[in-house]
Amino acid sequence: MSAINNNCKYISKKQVKITFDGNTYQAYEGDTIASALLRNNIRLVGRSFKYHRPRGIYTCGIEEPNALVQIISEHNEPNTRATIKRVYDGMEITSQNRWPSLRYDFGAINNILSPIFSAGFYYKTFMGPKGFWKNLYEPLIRRSAGLGKPPKNFRSKSTHQYHNTDVVIIGAGLSGLAAAKKFINTKYKVLLIEQDSYLGGVLKNSNKVKTINGLTPQEWISETEESILNSKNITILKNTLVTTYNFTNHLIALEDKFAGKKIDLNKSELTLHKIRTSNTIIANGHIERFISFRNNDLPGVMLASSFEKYIHRYGVVPEKEPVIFTNNSSSLSLLKTLINLGCKPKAYVDSRKKDNIETEIKKILKDKEIPFFSDAEIEGCDGNKKVETITIRQGKSFDKIKSSMLCVSGGYNPDIHLFTQSKGLVKWDKNILSFKPDTPFQKTITLGSTSGNYSFKKLCDEINEKLSIFKTKKVSLDINLNVPNKFSIKELWETKIKNKSNWAKSFIDLHNDVTTKDLKQAITEGFDRIEHLKRYTTNSMGTDQGKISSINSLAIVSKILKKEISEVGTTTYRPPYAPLSFAAIAGRSTYEFYDPERKTSIHSWHLKNNAVFEDVGQWKRPWYFKASENETMHQAVQRESKTLRENAGILDGSTLGKIEIKGRDALEFMNLMYTNAFSKMKPMTSRYAMMLGEDGMIKDDGIICKISDQHFIATTTSSGAPKVLADMEEYLQTEWPHLQVYLNSITEQFSTFNISGPKTREIMMRVFPDIDFSNDAFPFMTFKNFDYKETKIRIMRASFTGELGYEIYISPKFGLELWEEIFSCGKEFNLIPYGTETMHLLRAEKGYIVIGQETDGTVTPIDLNYNWMIGKNKKDFIGKRSLSRPDTSRADRKQLVGLSPINKKDIIEEGQHIVELNELPKKITDPIKYLGHVSSGYHSPNLNHSIGLAMIRGGKNLLGQKFFVTATGKTKNIPVEIVNPVFIDPENKRLTS
Amino acid sequence: MILIKCPYCGERDQSEFANGGEAHVIRPKNPESLSDKDWGEYVFYRNNPKGIFYERWVHTHGCKKWFNAVRNTSTDQILKVYKVNEKRPDLSEFQNTLKSPSGEPSVGSGNFAVKK
Amino acid sequence: MKKKYSIASIVKNSLSNNENWGKMWRSPNPKKHYDVIIVGGGGHGLGTAYYLAKHHGIKNIAVIEKGWLGSGNTGRNTTIIRSNYLWDESAYLYDHAVKLWENLSEDLNYNMMFSQRGVLNLAHNEHDIKEIKRRVSANRLNGLDTMWLDKNEIKDLVPIMNTDNLRYPVLGAAYQPRGGVARHDAVAWGYAMRADELGVDIIQNCEVKGIKTDNYKVEGVETTKGFIKSSKIGVVASGHTSVLAATAGVRLPLQSRPLQALVSEPIKPVINTVVMSNAVHAYVSQSDKGELVIGAGTDGYNSFTQRGGYDVIEETVRAIVELYPIFGKMKMLRQWGGIVDICPDASPIISKCDVEGLYFNCGWGTGGFKATPGSANVFAHTIAKDEPHKINAPFDLSRFSEGRLIDEHGAAAVAH
Repeated sequence: MSAINNNCKYISKKQVKITFDGNTYQAYEGDTIASALLRNNIRLVGRSFKYHRPRGIYTCGIEEPNALVQIISEHNEPNTRATIKRVYDGMEITSQNRWPSLRYDFGAINNILSPIFSAGFYYKTFMGPKGFWKNLYEPLIRRSAGLGKPPKNFRSKSTHQYHNTDVVIIGAGLSGLAAAKKFINTKYKVLLIEQDSYLGGVLKNSNKVKTINGLTPQEWISETEESILNSKNITILKNTLVTTYNFTNHLIALEDKFAGKKIDLNKSELTLHKIRTSNTIIANGHIERFISFRNNDLPGVMLASSFEKYIHRYGVVPEKEPVIFTNNSSSLSLLKTLINLGCKPKAYVDSRKKDNIETEIKKILKDKEIPFFSDAEIEGCDGNKKVETITIRQGKSFDKIKSSMLCVSGGYNPDIHLFTQSKGLVKWDKNILSFKPDTPFQKTITLGSTSGNYSFKKLCDEINEKLSIFKTKKVSLDINLNVPNKFSIKELWETKIKNKSNWAKSFIDLHNDVTTKDLKQAITEGFDRIEHLKRYTTNSMGTDQGKISSINSLAIVSKILKKEISEVGTTTYRPPYAPLSFAAIAGRSTYEFYDPERKTSIHSWHLKNNAVFEDVGQWKRPWYFKASENETMHQAVQRESKTLRENAGILDGSTLGKIEIKGRDALEFMNLMYTNAFSKMKPMTSRYAMMLGEDGMIKDDGIICKISDQHFIATTTSSGAPKVLADMEEYLQTEWPHLQVYLNSITEQFSTFNISGPKTREIMMRVFPDIDFSNDAFPFMTFKNFDYKETKIRIMRASFTGELGYEIYISPKFGLELWEEIFSCGKEFNLIPYGTETMHLLRAEKGYIVIGQETDGTVTPIDLNYNWMIGKNKKDFIGKRSLSRPDTSRADRKQLVGLSPINKKDIIEEGQHIVELNELPKKITDPIKYLGHVSSGYHSPNLNHSIGLAMIRGGKNLLGQKFFVTATGKTKNIPVEIVNPVFIDPENKRLTS
Repeated sequence: MILIKCPYCGERDQSEFANGGEAHVIRPKNPESLSDKDWGEYVFYRNNPKGIFYERWVHTHGCKKWFNAVRNTSTDQILKVYKVNEKRPDLSEFQNTLKSPSGEPSVGSGNFAVKK
Repeated sequence: MKKKYSIASIVKNSLSNNENWGKMWRSPNPKKHYDVIIVGGGGHGLGTAYYLAKHHGIKNIAVIEKGWLGSGNTGRNTTIIRSNYLWDESAYLYDHAVKLWENLSEDLNYNMMFSQRGVLNLAHNEHDIKEIKRRVSANRLNGLDTMWLDKNEIKDLVPIMNTDNLRYPVLGAAYQPRGGVARHDAVAWGYAMRADELGVDIIQNCEVKGIKTDNYKVEGVETTKGFIKSSKIGVVASGHTSVLAATAGVRLPLQSRPLQALVSEPIKPVINTVVMSNAVHAYVSQSDKGELVIGAGTDGYNSFTQRGGYDVIEETVRAIVELYPIFGKMKMLRQWGGIVDICPDASPIISKCDVEGLYFNCGWGTGGFKATPGSANVFAHTIAKDEPHKINAPFDLSRFSEGRLIDEHGAAAVAH
């Protein structure tokens, strides 16, 4: 039976109600789920992963391997550690991995079959007959896997907080607080991080320390906390767990903003702290480890220090008469605690020889008449879903004792997880039988039990010495103890099972149901490396990462292999220290903040005019405009395309990248960056240009405006703009620093409109009555600057549709005003807005290419018949040399052609391939040779049939020939003719009209 | 996460920077005179040492300046940062602790945690 | 096959307390000389040894591994298998692998748990759609089972996916039903066991310090266990390939980069296919154990630390939470990194080189696991015959001087 420790100061008297598996229980504010359940004498809280064995609460902290529960009232959060999670009124909890109920779990049949579920079992069977794996075995295996059920209806809303600090102290226990004391009122900016909601660590969790500097531990903590709070340079973060130690002293810590409170759905529930520090002090203590014995997983088996922590920290005595099993001196603390509360352990089992056991322990046991077994061990325990009898082996005799709880201490491991994450090296310490930090890789200091120092008396000297690198005063700690200062331990990892049985189990990993037998089997099969063993048996791969057991497994393995533990080595501890919420990692950068939306200055107009948008990089671009509610995309695009070729259309081209290139050597620079030659180009003219990579492949294109030899403006594709500018900068700074050129992104400085169509000139004359738009005054591919109202505009004569067209550049401030002006002038000329889809269709009719559609990183300008764009007389430009390599000069490279269906009703689909067969086999077993693919396919409203652009092997020489284009879902192919890719106005009459 | 000291702005998180691969690879003055093999080497081949590596970084989300760094790729420690126009520091300035190609430095790298 | 695994052998062994399973492989000391030495005991290397012994009658083979078997990328990847690559060369190579995967468990009598649960590649914008549709069509002609799925069909496959209410909505996907995942460690173990049975010496914990050559001809390898002579050396050392090549005076177009992955805590089945996305960059599958296995992107700098930047993890988790909001309530259990060797065209190198008897199988970048059996199979051929198999002929070294690249970046930023 459990009892209450009324001296506990950390639990409020306020009662709350929680439900566990549908039953309502009373708990106190401040309880964890585990302490609340123990308070209510609930021992069975879950089922194990593989064998579905009944499991209880094993620890009182983050190291818990068993007591994982599902929080129904928090979106079904699965796999929550009952030993950490604080309760609140109305919290709804269920157990996991059982069906139909926790008490009667069908999956427990696995326990009966367990001898065949040995290590590596999956790999050795389920292989035949054919199809059985896929259709029967695997679905069965999958269904039985996993612990909790998936969460439900959740949207994350956590935040991030950044810190730059001089010192981080991880853990505000005795060592952490004493270290923090040194920094009070100094110049150092310090962050003190504690996982619990109270400071004090071991001081509040145990009875080990009697007084510090004459004060009770409680008084000392209060005094210290107060003086830290009064010191402006130190910040305390409570309920915060450091999970990750990255390179260059970069730490990740997670703060639970609602520990013990019902989550307010409107607030951020977690804060993820990203900390950059100059020095890290790790003082997060130690973790007790267990001992493997038969049925060491039964509910009722608990680590001794955890048992004690429940008494001091949560005011619950889980059981008044437990059996204590230890191999070290620290369990005296628990013994004393129980005695002080008037409880009497059923037995005290110590594996050490009687002479090595502290006199004080022996005296208490004698005085209180507690059965005492020295040089003894627990052989195992038995019971139905809970501990009922405990078998003690002393020499050759066995005693059976009835008790419902067994407190185990197998010694302590310094908590080296974060230290190894930091890439520090650890070393085996024979005195404490564990790994402890040795060589740090970063600016990392470990203090107290984390550093392997288990002597309270030496702590003060350790702190003063290790922190002497800081300019601070010495601290003094005068500590009086309830336990021996000298830690004494006898090596014991596993006890021998009395009756050999195929079903007997001593667990080494409670979370993943790995037994010591599995370890032995794996080694006999040749998995004699610790990482192999881990992977083969899944040892220490559970959600607890084997915190209470991984050192034990190393020791057991080293014994079998007859090697030193240091030779066997540890597996690497992988971040995070404890499972870390995905929502917290993501922070606020999800959903509406996942990626910024870039909008042009005309966006509101587009919305009003029923634009449907497409994402182009971060930009929102009008894809097409719906003329009526029921108009389909196809109808809209056909209408827009036809209207433009007959009248006029306008496109918001503001998203096009614009880069200004200025300086003494701008001309030379441009000649190097682009394939084209700019030297003979006249000022105030423009040119379509292409940029290659050094591999000769087309990277980007755009129109280059030459203002003078010292001043150019280049446009780029919308999504390519940042990359083009970055590449230009790179060459300028790293290859040609002697060139005096300055680059400036001016994409956002201008709204850009592309207006084109046969009626364009008339509209432009209406909008800009003072400007002469005649062919002579304003020829194709020239541009001019004008005053417009209070601003300046630039107008360029250019077109991407093949029609007469102009591009207008204006400050975004005036963009919308001008846009609306154009529409009011264009109304009588049937001017329509059009989107990117129509733009793509019109340029395809004209045979213009689109980067990323005709090109895919494997296309050269020659492949596109764009030889005219290559400055023949230029000695060099980026990518030039690559154009003459054997593969890039092959005659049968894929080249740009046009496709026209023989049967005009056939539709040429984009992405389909050109083949020689008129029909494909139903099932293709041997690859079908193809010539190339359809890079663009549209129904042309102006030709009234489907057209295509295609990249075809040796295409230049195939004009006029007939091939076939494949079609989705059909075996019958579409007959097509290879044609010139320019379908409309090959003489450029419209363009220059 | 590595901390990089931009010679123009000071120490910043690595996420503010972009890496530009091996440093001191000079674009051939006269590419046309190179054989296909040599040109291929220039375009596609870069040193990839374990240990001391001369590399380029650009402060993309900052001053946008390119600079060079010497980094130990087996530990990710940045040993030196210098401007593009500064002299390439001599290898002897840095101690390469690697004993064999696949070997690890004594601390700070790889898949081991135990002091030998 | 000496060791035959079956349900019968399991029952039999369970009766003897599972104490009598024999060693899966020997731990021999290296001989002075081997006909072929494979450097690197991951899946590709062990597989190469297995096929050399099985198909090419070469028995005197050693596999030399610096750490333990599968300790490199074999045991660090997200185990995705698919073959829906754009270019013919890649499609042939990867589908050669998928076909071998389909019979590998039976072939090795070791269950690789190859789970053909299908692979989805999501489209989030018009450009993605175009790229995927082209790929689906090319795959079809190459006899692959890739198909286009619209949003509703994706919803049916993965009901928990957020297809609409996100920054870049899901517009469709390529789906390859034959794709899936496998148990990565088992691949190394299975090949090792059967190669060992065929007489291959597997030498773990032995580091190759250098490749010795004389006049452009290999002579052997210098190792921590002494010099071992051989006239044929196959290097399959992933991230460390270029450093080993350098000892033989060979330069390779490789850069070694960190690639990270992470897993969540185990939950009951919730996602039954592999889902990959480039624009919302993350890929996820659920292991048979119930963990979500999540792949991140590569870091942008060279490193041999087997550890990447935290910002990459954050980017990935952000994408996961965006696409699957309920996963926000789950937790990251472990994160880790590997070293991937990346080629300029994101395609591997399986090739001879200027040094006679020296062969490289490298440059797999972020996507080598899926190719393991196919890669091993053609590499064994290349070593045995001293000429490439027709499948790996295009993946030679001279493609970089000729410009004959197999550019799998194309539209996709990362060729997983």
